[in-house]
Amino acid sequence: MTISGAPGGADARSLWGDAARRLRRDKAAVACFAVVVLYALIAVVCPFVWSDWADSYDYDNINRPPSLTHPMGTDEFGRSVLQKTLLGASTSMTVGFMANIIAVPLGIVLGAVAGYYGGRLDDLIVWFYTTVASIPGLIRLIAIKFAFAETVLFANTPFEMDLGHGMSGVYIALGMMSWVGTCRLVRAEVMKIRELDYVLAARAVGTPSIVILFRHVVPNVLHIGIINFSLGFVGAISAEVMLSYLGLGVGTGIPSWGAMIDAAKMDLVVGRWWEITSAVAATFLIVLAWNIVGDRLRDALDPRLRTA
Amino acid sequence: MLAFILRRLIQAVFTIFGVMLLTFILFRAIPGDVSARYVNPKLGKAARDAWMERHRMNLPLVLNTAVHVQFWKPEFWNTQFFWHLRQSLTFEARSFKTDEKLTKIVAERAKYSLALTVPAMALGWLLALVVACVVAYFRGSWFDYLMTFLAVLGMCVPYLAYMIGVQWFMFNVKPTAAWGLRYPTNIYVPVAIAVIAGVGASVRFYRTVILDEVNRDYVRTAMAKGVPLPGVLFRHVLRNCMLPILTSLVTAIPFLIIGSLLLEQFFGIPGLGPLMLGSINDRDIPIVTNLTFLTAALYTLGLLLTDVLYAVFDPRIRLR
Repeated sequence: MTISGAPGGADARSLWGDAARRLRRDKAAVACFAVVVLYALIAVVCPFVWSDWADSYDYDNINRPPSLTHPMGTDEFGRSVLQKTLLGASTSMTVGFMANIIAVPLGIVLGAVAGYYGGRLDDLIVWFYTTVASIPGLIRLIAIKFAFAETVLFANTPFEMDLGHGMSGVYIALGMMSWVGTCRLVRAEVMKIRELDYVLAARAVGTPSIVILFRHVVPNVLHIGIINFSLGFVGAISAEVMLSYLGLGVGTGIPSWGAMIDAAKMDLVVGRWWEITSAVAATFLIVLAWNIVGDRLRDALDPRLRTA
Repeated sequence: MLAFILRRLIQAVFTIFGVMLLTFILFRAIPGDVSARYVNPKLGKAARDAWMERHRMNLPLVLNTAVHVQFWKPEFWNTQFFWHLRQSLTFEARSFKTDEKLTKIVAERAKYSLALTVPAMALGWLLALVVACVVAYFRGSWFDYLMTFLAVLGMCVPYLAYMIGVQWFMFNVKPTAAWGLRYPTNIYVPVAIAVIAGVGASVRFYRTVILDEVNRDYVRTAMAKGVPLPGVLFRHVLRNCMLPILTSLVTAIPFLIIGSLLLEQFFGIPGLGPLMLGSINDRDIPIVTNLTFLTAALYTLGLLLTDVLYAVFDPRIRLR
């Protein structure tokens, strides 16, 4: 395997350079990556543009079907559904990003430590993730939301987080519960890398094991983290929809696709189709994009999966 | 062989203990006092204390430090944690809300869950396997691309949208079948949703597994000696694919018992799913704890069973 920073030669390619070249050639991957970037932009910009959306009541125009003034119609308070959908991107992307920012590093560190040191520590970490994994995903998520119900972190400070009701509870719960897959893969990979000659060489010159692990071994498993980050996004977005349905979502007042789809169980019967349509379309596109980006990343970054 | 089974068994015991520990922390230690939901605060402290004592919520949390480390005395172990372990293992918990025994509630409700999940799983598995085999047979053709594309599209629609869409469709076609179990045949609607919503991901997974096998030497040998392609695919390849496919089936076992949480809730089927969700809303700790434990324990036992079966059939696993 070529490692990034290997001394140059005409055809010396780093793993990352090689992967980037493969991805650039792949039109579907580029298109899907563009969709992800677009969503991220929407997520960052829209809350500033329509900062007063939540209070933009218009009781003369409630539940209007799509028209020129309101391209995707209005909701039960007369607010624009198109704006609501775009603002929902902010919720979904925040939940997905934060959940994975918690889960992926947690998985990498636990997996790397378990795989590198082995022994009792490995047994302990393996026991821990087997235990967590033996509770089915949705129940795990519901359970931790249940435990969070009355928890407020950093109360009375600017960083106050109401885990029972706000968005933070959703992504912290998701993050704490979805590191198992990353951990398992990283552990297996580190166990292989541990036996390579360059690790032996580093050990021979007296490098402390913690430095070998995080400086020399972990960079070679980072691609697993990146792949799981993109696939974890899909899981987080779907989980947010399910939690909204169960009343454990981001809470009222925050525009979210989950809440919009959930609200449609009453709306469709009376012929109000625009809210669910825009939320499903928005969810569908980003999930599709992340799925394809994740798949192509895996193909590009994991050389063993390439067919010769 | 015996050593392997024994080692796996010990691992399973540790995992099950871990689940009991985790459920204890999540449901007993963190949520704190839930008595206010069940005892009217106006009744005063005496009523609350009586309720706490009846449900053993007044005991020390983990170890009775009042008697210090006199572990030979029974009261040292008389704590919430050890009652929790005992209740988990014997399933003798009673609901806070109705005071019914857990075993009775589960026995009443499990049949509805099973009526939904067993056909859903069997049909979904069969459909996905057949489609995946056909797709793998036509690999590289437009048919393969179309089906893989459809599978990916199917995966990307939120589950909730499937439920709402199909319910709305049923509401227009046959309103009595859109909710509840007044007519037993209504169960076909959620079964169909479970199959449709799950088939995309399964087809894609099985296709990958099958294509992994197709490139192996024994397939070339079989082709070379003149076995027709369907024979190779369905007789040789499928048999070797069974390992990952069976694992994916076993990992679905908890869903057989707990039911499709969302589907049951959505279609008003009185199975274990609505029980779980209702108990969470009511803070009915014994029910939530034991249902979670039950699913986790079944999952662990299922994995143990498949591992042992693999070891019986595949000597390479035993030696690892």
